Amino acid sequence: MGQWAGYLQLILDGAVVTIKLTLMGSALALVMAFLAGLGRLSRFAPVRWLATAYIEFFRGTSIFVQLFWAYFVLPLFGFTLTPLQAGVLALGLNVGAYAAEVVRGAIKSIGKEQYEACTALNFNRWQGLRHVILPQAFVLMLPTFGNNAIELLKASAVVSLISLSDMTFQAQVVRAQTGSTLFPFLTILILYFAIACVISFAIRGLERHLTRGLDGIRS
Amino acid sequence: MPPTNTAPIIEINGINKSFGAFKVLNDLSFSVAPREKLALIGPSGSGKTTILRILMTLEGIDSGEILVDGDSLYQMKRNGKLQPADDAHLHKMREKIGMVFQLFNLFPHKCVLDNVTLAPMLTKGVSRKDADHHAMELLDMVGLADKAKSMPSQLSGGQKQRVAIARALALKPKIMLFDEVTSALDPELVEEVLNVLWKLCRETDMTMLLVTHEMGFAHDFADRVLFFDRGRIVEDGKPDEIFRHPKQERTQAFLKKIIAAGHRV
Repeated sequence: MGQWAGYLQLILDGAVVTIKLTLMGSALALVMAFLAGLGRLSRFAPVRWLATAYIEFFRGTSIFVQLFWAYFVLPLFGFTLTPLQAGVLALGLNVGAYAAEVVRGAIKSIGKEQYEACTALNFNRWQGLRHVILPQAFVLMLPTFGNNAIELLKASAVVSLISLSDMTFQAQVVRAQTGSTLFPFLTILILYFAIACVISFAIRGLERHLTRGLDGIRS
Repeated sequence: MPPTNTAPIIEINGINKSFGAFKVLNDLSFSVAPREKLALIGPSGSGKTTILRILMTLEGIDSGEILVDGDSLYQMKRNGKLQPADDAHLHKMREKIGMVFQLFNLFPHKCVLDNVTLAPMLTKGVSRKDADHHAMELLDMVGLADKAKSMPSQLSGGQKQRVAIARALALKPKIMLFDEVTSALDPELVEEVLNVLWKLCRETDMTMLLVTHEMGFAHDFADRVLFFDRGRIVEDGKPDEIFRHPKQERTQAFLKKIIAAGHRV
């Protein structure tokens, strides 16, 4: 039994890496989602093209290939990243591309009458967006952002391929050392599920908090 | 009664507006004197709401000219030449105009007080303290001081509309546009909103344009009534002339229909 405790510790160390990747990747994804989502709604055509190109490219190519580019190809151009940096970059850009469409869709779903009230009250575009449209749209984005964050958590397993010792990587180490498949993979199955549950609950709590007293803008 | 010897605050000269193939406004011209209370009536689709939306810069015009307080609404002078208005020009022009919508358009995520204070704080740099103070005066005027901390979803339609009126007044516009502000209300809630309009009519010297189907109220409220049909003004006169002795056949037919539908004239 004592040896399993040691191996469990190994997997828990991996879980810390996975959680770090998920948090940092989600933060980058959130920034990219708003940049590209708002970019697609810009009045300036080049900004729209740039945002569209980013979204289509990162949705249209595999996360696996993106990660290998970040870690193995970028050094050829003089950008060397640590495995963690490469992982955060690939995951954040990939999931951010999906989430950008969530941002755009939520903003577009806010009724015309809210924009008209902003015009009638003489807000400029940014003031209307910041104080009227985004606070309402953000509530609509949350459930899908939760999905995106869980997708990111699960996709983070690919970093084991660039030798980053995340949960999946550690499970393979344990399997190689003990010959047991059941113990490490059952353990990480439960851990992935537990982390996903935490994300779900956190998002739901935030949603409840933000919709207090609100009516009519919940989907 | 509005004085007759001053320059008009709104001058509309030959404007045209189409939505696709549908011509909403057809070579329309009229002017409004400062402090005048104007009622715009007519069948739906006659273009009366579109005029308010154009004045609020929610819709552009295809051709023609609009002057508000002597300045062109949709054009500006730059280097001596007239050019289409930019954001800064529209921003300056909108300061003179406020609008209340049929469906209130309150901000559902902000409490009543914040709905009223947001615009003065953002667009005029008023401090939170001053904005709150002025907003409470306005909410008191519309009879909703006790609802300041309520969310819009907790209010009735009539209360929402009164908040929307206070919100528009908070920017102290010279011109107020009221677009069918009682049409979405249950009949028993109409009066509380009309009472507020009545108060504004008597106690302020704002210019007010009112699009309405409340003919009885339009009669009492307005200095002047414009009857619209198919994007043109068919009849323009004092309330008594329009409602009691309409000259045009189309005005007569419209009023007959309205009376048949149970509205008091």
